[in-house]
Amino acid sequence: MSFDIFLCGVGGQGLVLLTSVIGNACVKAGKRAITGEMYGLSQRSGTVFVHMRVGDDAYSPLIPYGAADVIIALEGMEALRYVEFLKKGGIILMNNRLMHPPIETSKLLKDKQAKYITIDEIVSKLKEWTPNVAVVDGLSIAKESGNLNAENTVFLGCISVLKDFPLEEKFIRESISQVVPEKSIEQNLKAFELGRKSAYDSLCKLVSCKQV
Amino acid sequence: MVLRDVVANEKRNAFMLCNEAIVRGALESDVKVVAFYPGAPTSEVLDTFNDAVGSFDYHMEIATNEKVALEICAGASFAGIRSLTAMKSVGTNVASDALFVLGYTGVRGGLVLVMADDPHAHSSQSEQDGRFFAPNAYIPMLEPSTAQEAKDMVKRAFEISERHRVPVIVRTVTRVNHQSGIVRLDGIDRKEFRRVKWRELNEEFTTLGEGARQKKLKMLKRAEELATEFESSEFNYVRDAPSDFGIITSSVSYLYVLEALKILGLESKAKVLKLGTTYPLPKNLIRTFIKGLAKVLIVEELSPYLEREVYALAKDTNPAVTIYGKWSGTFSEAWEYNPNLVVKGIAAALGMSAPDYDSIVDDAKKLKVALPDRYPTFCAGCPHRGTWAALSQALKNKPHYFSNDIGCYSMWIYPPISHADSSLCMGASVGVANGLSNVIEERVVAVVGDSTFYHAAIPAIMNAVHNGNKFTLIILDNSVTAMTGQQPNFSTDFTAGWRQGKKVSIENICRAIGIEFVEIVDSYDAKKNIDVFKRALDFDGLSIVISRRECALYGDRNKRRKGEAIIPFYIDTEQCKKAYVCMRDFYCPCYSIDETDKKPRIAQEQCDGCSVCSKLCPFVAVKRTEVKP
Repeated sequence: MSFDIFLCGVGGQGLVLLTSVIGNACVKAGKRAITGEMYGLSQRSGTVFVHMRVGDDAYSPLIPYGAADVIIALEGMEALRYVEFLKKGGIILMNNRLMHPPIETSKLLKDKQAKYITIDEIVSKLKEWTPNVAVVDGLSIAKESGNLNAENTVFLGCISVLKDFPLEEKFIRESISQVVPEKSIEQNLKAFELGRKSAYDSLCKLVSCKQV
Repeated sequence: MVLRDVVANEKRNAFMLCNEAIVRGALESDVKVVAFYPGAPTSEVLDTFNDAVGSFDYHMEIATNEKVALEICAGASFAGIRSLTAMKSVGTNVASDALFVLGYTGVRGGLVLVMADDPHAHSSQSEQDGRFFAPNAYIPMLEPSTAQEAKDMVKRAFEISERHRVPVIVRTVTRVNHQSGIVRLDGIDRKEFRRVKWRELNEEFTTLGEGARQKKLKMLKRAEELATEFESSEFNYVRDAPSDFGIITSSVSYLYVLEALKILGLESKAKVLKLGTTYPLPKNLIRTFIKGLAKVLIVEELSPYLEREVYALAKDTNPAVTIYGKWSGTFSEAWEYNPNLVVKGIAAALGMSAPDYDSIVDDAKKLKVALPDRYPTFCAGCPHRGTWAALSQALKNKPHYFSNDIGCYSMWIYPPISHADSSLCMGASVGVANGLSNVIEERVVAVVGDSTFYHAAIPAIMNAVHNGNKFTLIILDNSVTAMTGQQPNFSTDFTAGWRQGKKVSIENICRAIGIEFVEIVDSYDAKKNIDVFKRALDFDGLSIVISRRECALYGDRNKRRKGEAIIPFYIDTEQCKKAYVCMRDFYCPCYSIDETDKKPRIAQEQCDGCSVCSKLCPFVAVKRTEVKP
């Protein structure tokens, strides 16, 4: 059985790097991996996603609908945008950060009654799909690691503690050290550790995790 | 992108994007000349060669356009040097003039053309099916499904090219190019790059009249030899099963077929013929496969390219076989496939039930009613935002036709801006403006980027000069080919590998060909530029405004390289009088409205510090963050 992760976010959040870290860890672990990556037309602020599949019988670069084990959303709204890929009862790990697209803001300018979508609204919709929705304060944890751009690694830390996650921690650490730019290796390793720790306070209360 | 893996002279596994695996395959084949014009989804082939240029001795050029790129490769190949180019589907249209002739002249050194189609038009203006170039030009074509296979095929393509003296197309689709996987690295064994003595080669590569007629006969003979060779190619294989149901497929569709058979529990109940050499097709292999089948399903994206061949072959081999595909209505010629669609198609052909994917999508749709769309948009600090702020003001109350082109500025067609009357292909904004300027009453405004200007707009601009056509052309010069990942082009001082290159001056070209109105503005000076654009629009003739400011992402990269900080702006809420000039019609993604005081806010971690919004505010409420020295 393959372990299927749907990674999504907004252009500029480091999804491609995150994909490289996971894929490179798969090489170390002797696992098969395949991805389908979509960068979109815009390089910043557009929607970006990666189908990341680990396991011998993951043939297609795209995850079938209703089959992903986990959705990782580095931006809150994007979790809802791709929810059809998640299996019922699957896990959603999402950022509490919302990046409101210009088209949403322009509606607020035109209509005094209009409001931004909120994290709570998104979470309540997602809970109609699965009870396992964990919200992460990605930016604060990244800040704590000393690197605002390390949100992606924070999320990798969170997901790595899942009981079913197919990669050992040491392979991920080695992979981070090889793949991220040299000057930010320490910060990313710290972000990974902080992400792991934070998962035990939130994600692991919903689903089973590896023993500490 | 892990360059270390691409350049390592090691034999081991690595996780790679297919586009990187293509580069690796070329390096393992000792490629000596590479030339490209960037285009999604092949841009990372260029980028990877660009990054690796210091590690090897290949000669690399970022060319004016795809035709020049292919001709650079042809030149090298004529001299016996191995060369490779990669281009997007529509880029092949530009290169096709040379491609068709190369089928006649043949080549000497291995010449590989990676052609990437874009089913679903993810980042293209059309879903064109480039496979038809191959039979039309009698040029062999290989189609990989995975990154590993792409690397293997590139290596084999060089050998085929040299053995048969013909360019070889390696045809991919977006879901292959932008697919990563585990790739087995072979060693890299490279010979030193040496200039060739042409006088010792004793070859000619010409074709005209009688020469062309004779070469046509040779070309047909070559196609026959290739067809025979491909009958036993390792890239075509059968997954056998005790069944009278078979599937014929290629490219990424093969992977969807495997996934779908797994989902339907049919892995040992359907035969599969996977085709890797899709021109010339292994006709005997197909005949043998369909013999004895009751049903055969063809799974391929876009046109029924394989399907029509199967119909033709079945006529004599197995006229009783029922063929499912596009003509049976099982699959569409529109849009890309995915595992869900292929599950449905297989189930339909077999008359069995399939998972209800439609209800999954419907359920999800119900949850998304209040979810805002996120259209592709301009980056924070993008100079096009500044240009639009001024140009949209100048165009107000001025009836006009807006002729857009291919580049980041194509995104002006998306909401919330949604402004364009036409947008075709590279450089066409100017060509179309020539036609319109003599037949409509309104002023025609065309826009073109720097890279597109060099690529295909110059002939159309000269046409306007010579014929006295009157319109306004805005050249958006952001120094790099931004949309495909900020590759250097003729508007920078850099060339491939970021080595020193000679800048080709846009304004010098415009003035040299006799254009009287050529003005240059800084895209960030939005307020000042309104008047310049107005004068250009009112000018009785061809007027050109060059709106110049480097791409924000490229600028950021330069700042990082120099150790300069990016200093964001903020809203001084005391000063803000809620005029919203900073954000209305400006649509910067950094901006949001605070729902308590209804005043704008700038996301500090996203702001690029471009200052354009601050200059628009009449109350000086948008301020640069103070930085302690």
